[in-house]
Amino acid sequence: MYFVLAALRGGPLHGHAISKSVKELSGGRVQPSVGTLYGILERLNERGVITVDREETVNGRNRRYFRITDEGQALVHAEARRMQEAASLVLRPSGAPFALRPSGA
Amino acid sequence: MTALERRYRRLLLAYPRKYRAAHGDELLDVLLESAAPGRSVPEPREVWGLLLGGVRSRIIDQARGSAWVDGLHLGVTAAAVANLAALLPYAGSLPLWTALSALALLAISRGWVRTAIPLTGVVAAKAVALAGGWQVFDLTLLPVPPSSLARQMLFQFGSPLTVAAGYALALAGLLVLARRRRPLRVRSWWWWAAVVAVAWSGPPWMPQDTVYPLSLSRVAVEVVVFGLAVTGAYLARDLRWALASGLYLLVASAELILHAGELTRQHLAYWGLLVLLTLACAFAPYRQRRHCLD
Repeated sequence: MYFVLAALRGGPLHGHAISKSVKELSGGRVQPSVGTLYGILERLNERGVITVDREETVNGRNRRYFRITDEGQALVHAEARRMQEAASLVLRPSGAPFALRPSGA
Repeated sequence: MTALERRYRRLLLAYPRKYRAAHGDELLDVLLESAAPGRSVPEPREVWGLLLGGVRSRIIDQARGSAWVDGLHLGVTAAAVANLAALLPYAGSLPLWTALSALALLAISRGWVRTAIPLTGVVAAKAVALAGGWQVFDLTLLPVPPSSLARQMLFQFGSPLTVAAGYALALAGLLVLARRRRPLRVRSWWWWAAVVAVAWSGPPWMPQDTVYPLSLSRVAVEVVVFGLAVTGAYLARDLRWALASGLYLLVASAELILHAGELTRQHLAYWGLLVLLTLACAFAPYRQRRHCLD
């Protein structure tokens, strides 16, 4: 879900482009199957986090382009901040205010 | 059409018809674009994704509309299945009443409540009378003998009260549903497959001297259906399946309570399992959210 929203921050994309973008953004770690990807897209669409920007017909088949909404932008930013704060607990450059002192020291 | 496209089209049948009509080609387009050149067999992860996505989509699709109306309709349908299954093995001796019971289930499953009420009522009167050894409407030779589907006589282990419980629930539910003007959801034809499995007395699994034997095939069908209800409640966060399971549990419990003196550990395990699955249906919609869209 996070990578799908991150992919759509660059502009409207269709299913295959979202799938490729998710793979790129995650360094190949996340590769949702088409069934899983569309399950995520339908749920995000239902909750108003993304919306259908336009529809095109390619090779006689309908293709939806999805766009992130303002609510979706806020959501993905909040999630990024949450992850950044969590990461900073471990990755802070110097001094570990929350580190436990060795016993007997 | 390539072999790969044909296979993907077959896998897309996992999705509801409406979803397939609207977006089936779009999914197919992405599947074919993502496939490696020359590939003729779908990747296992795509197969799994489509099957899970389809089932999930079907379940979510079922959770639309009023939860209490749909839950009540589901519970009534399940009770009607059990009522028809009790008569089905004796269709040779009771062709008219079995046919009327089947018509009642057809009316319920299609949402024709006003047709289902008189049909259920008249079959209820006959079934309760048969369980009590009374003659109503027509003359029936009692007891009704066993058949290939059932090893015992009709209602051999039942009493008018236990038989009445299933019909009373169906009738009460139908009367409540009749007050609504909106059409009800049409139920799946899979319920008819459940009738046959519930009707069969199943392979022997309880000691021969058990006074009130449970049918293994019936137990298996109930556990599978209750399990599906828990899955639905979990995925859709909806209480309709808890209501339906609770109503069916009432009927099943009534039968067990009336045989309280003859119950074995297997009966108690069966009842405990149904209670556990019903509770799971009731609590699953309130499970903790893992992320904001869960």
